Amino acid sequence: MKRKTPSLIILTLFFFVAAMPSPARADSQPTPEYQVKAAFLYNFVKFVQWPEEKPADNNDIITIAVIGNHKFGNAFESVKGKKVRDKKIIVKFFSRFHDTNDKNDLKKCHLLFICPSEKQHLNDIIEIAGQANILTVADMNGFIQNGGIIQFIMQDKKVRFQINLSAARRAKLKIRSQLLRLAKKVVEEKSPKKD
Amino acid sequence: MSILRNTTIRHKLTLIIMFTCITALVMASSAFIVWEQITFRNSMARNLSIQAAMTADNCKAALAFEDVADAEETLKALRAESSIIFGCIYTADEKVFAKYSRDKTVTLPQPQKDGHHFHNNSLTVFRSINLDGEKIGTLCLRSDLHLLSVMLKSSAGIITIVLLFVSLMAYLMSSGLKKIISGPLLKLADTTKIISQKKDYSLRVEKKSEDEIGTLIDAFNQMLGQIQQHDAALLNANKQLTSEVAERKKAEATLEEVNKDLETTVRELSRSNRELQDFAHITAHDLKAPLRAIGTLAEWLAESYADKFDAEGKEQISLLVGRSQRMSKLIDGILRYSEVARTGRKAEKVDLNTLVTEIIRGIDLPDNIEIIIKNRLPTVEYEQTRMTQVFQNLLTNAVKYMDKPEGHIEINFTEHDGFWKFSIADNGPGIEEKYYGKIFKIFQTLSPRDEVESTGIGLPLVKKIIENYGGEIWVESKVGIGSIFFFTLPFSTDALKNGNRLLISAQAKT
Repeated sequence: MKRKTPSLIILTLFFFVAAMPSPARADSQPTPEYQVKAAFLYNFVKFVQWPEEKPADNNDIITIAVIGNHKFGNAFESVKGKKVRDKKIIVKFFSRFHDTNDKNDLKKCHLLFICPSEKQHLNDIIEIAGQANILTVADMNGFIQNGGIIQFIMQDKKVRFQINLSAARRAKLKIRSQLLRLAKKVVEEKSPKKD
Repeated sequence: MSILRNTTIRHKLTLIIMFTCITALVMASSAFIVWEQITFRNSMARNLSIQAAMTADNCKAALAFEDVADAEETLKALRAESSIIFGCIYTADEKVFAKYSRDKTVTLPQPQKDGHHFHNNSLTVFRSINLDGEKIGTLCLRSDLHLLSVMLKSSAGIITIVLLFVSLMAYLMSSGLKKIISGPLLKLADTTKIISQKKDYSLRVEKKSEDEIGTLIDAFNQMLGQIQQHDAALLNANKQLTSEVAERKKAEATLEEVNKDLETTVRELSRSNRELQDFAHITAHDLKAPLRAIGTLAEWLAESYADKFDAEGKEQISLLVGRSQRMSKLIDGILRYSEVARTGRKAEKVDLNTLVTEIIRGIDLPDNIEIIIKNRLPTVEYEQTRMTQVFQNLLTNAVKYMDKPEGHIEINFTEHDGFWKFSIADNGPGIEEKYYGKIFKIFQTLSPRDEVESTGIGLPLVKKIIENYGGEIWVESKVGIGSIFFFTLPFSTDALKNGNRLLISAQAKT
């Protein structure tokens, strides 16, 4: 709880900083595509089970975080205050990875959407996320091949997703079969690494 | 109903048993079918609800991630259940998200609250699709009730078969059971027939059970016993009656014989009576002429030889004249008496008032005696001479024997049913009761001849006339106070002509 104050400062800072350079402002109207993606992110939470050792501020919240320059606008407005498995959903926006000083804050989130702007830090982010049991989601090509867990794709002008089950296992996340069934592609590495 | 009334008890029993069985079975079957239908509908609703729950669970991810194709794939699984008409998923804002339909055309309902509805031969189930406590859509499943109708048809079929089988069994069993009831009854009926044909009341019906039929047989046997007794008594009575009748017949025969004898006697008697009367008449008539000659001769003697007879001779002669005169009167009386029966009855209308008045005028009535006719006398249809004789004799007697200084003689009459009753009352000396019969006998007189001039023929003559007309005469009297002579006369002489004299005399006495 002691850390709450700095995190709030950071959050405030983030909003302050991110507000200027971000192409999509937090109160602006997102495109339908990102509206759907925001809803999907929220829904992913419902089909994924985090391990008990998952680091978090407390056990009563589930944090959905977005890092980088995003286009979600106010797409998460409807998600705010909702509860999943009796845990409150909190949405956090991180600015650029290299601007994020306290990586611990990053580690405490449950789901991390990585914006294309962070492509050069992808490996670092995936590394951190893998250790901190974070479900990583991105819409970059080759994301799941690079160790990401869920990758949005567009199919027939509809948002669909692919899953890297090995990556999920590495992050000790359990993905419910219903979600796996919906995935357009489920990747499993032939020789999974053992961390 | 009249057909049912006229059928035999055996058929009635069969009908009753069959009717009872079938009614009970039909009622039970109906209840069973209704129950089965309710149960089946409930189970259908439950099954479809479970199916809906499973489907809803299966497609919630697809709904969450807007994967229509996956949702439709899930819904397609419903095809396995041929009764499901359609399945449909609505989004949270009630738009159709995905659907499956068995038939080509289908109209989808608006999503509703969770639950099931039976409507238009179909069962519709709505179920909300919840993802982590959040409603993200609604699932609707509709099933037809084909299975229900199939079930009902098969139930009806089974029930029909059971009904037929049970009816057959009931019929077979009833034909066995009815022997228990109709058997003894038929036996009873047979015995009754035999009894009525042979009239043998000693027969008895064998009792085999202690039920109502047993009671009936007991009662029947008891009745037979009574009939037997009565029959015996009747037979006895009949025998007695027959013997009595025979006796009576014998008695009647005897009576008839006696009657015949009596008739003969009466005939002979009346003949001899007539002969006697004729004899008396002839004798009297024949005696009259010589008597008159004796009388005339005696008178002539008394006149012509008056100076030749001494006092004693004169006395004797006058005694002779007197005696011959009395004898003449006696003969006249006998003649009159005998004439009553002899002369033909020439009936004519006689006003008794005129007749009696004339008679009274003819009587040399002393000043101290009065004759009163109390009420107006009737007009009768009898021979006038006889009527005159009756009243004259009775009145003359009353006057003749009057011994009181003031004599009252009263004539009265009353009218009765079929006859008149006359009475002539006087306050004369009266008659002792022992002489009541004697005074009506011929030649009887209560006073010495020389005291009161009497032939002793008057009252017998009156009696004879009255009785000849079918009437009666009698006297009531108290010595020293007076006498009442009563006599009756029937209204007409027809009764006499019919010879019904006895009857009239009986009536008169009452």
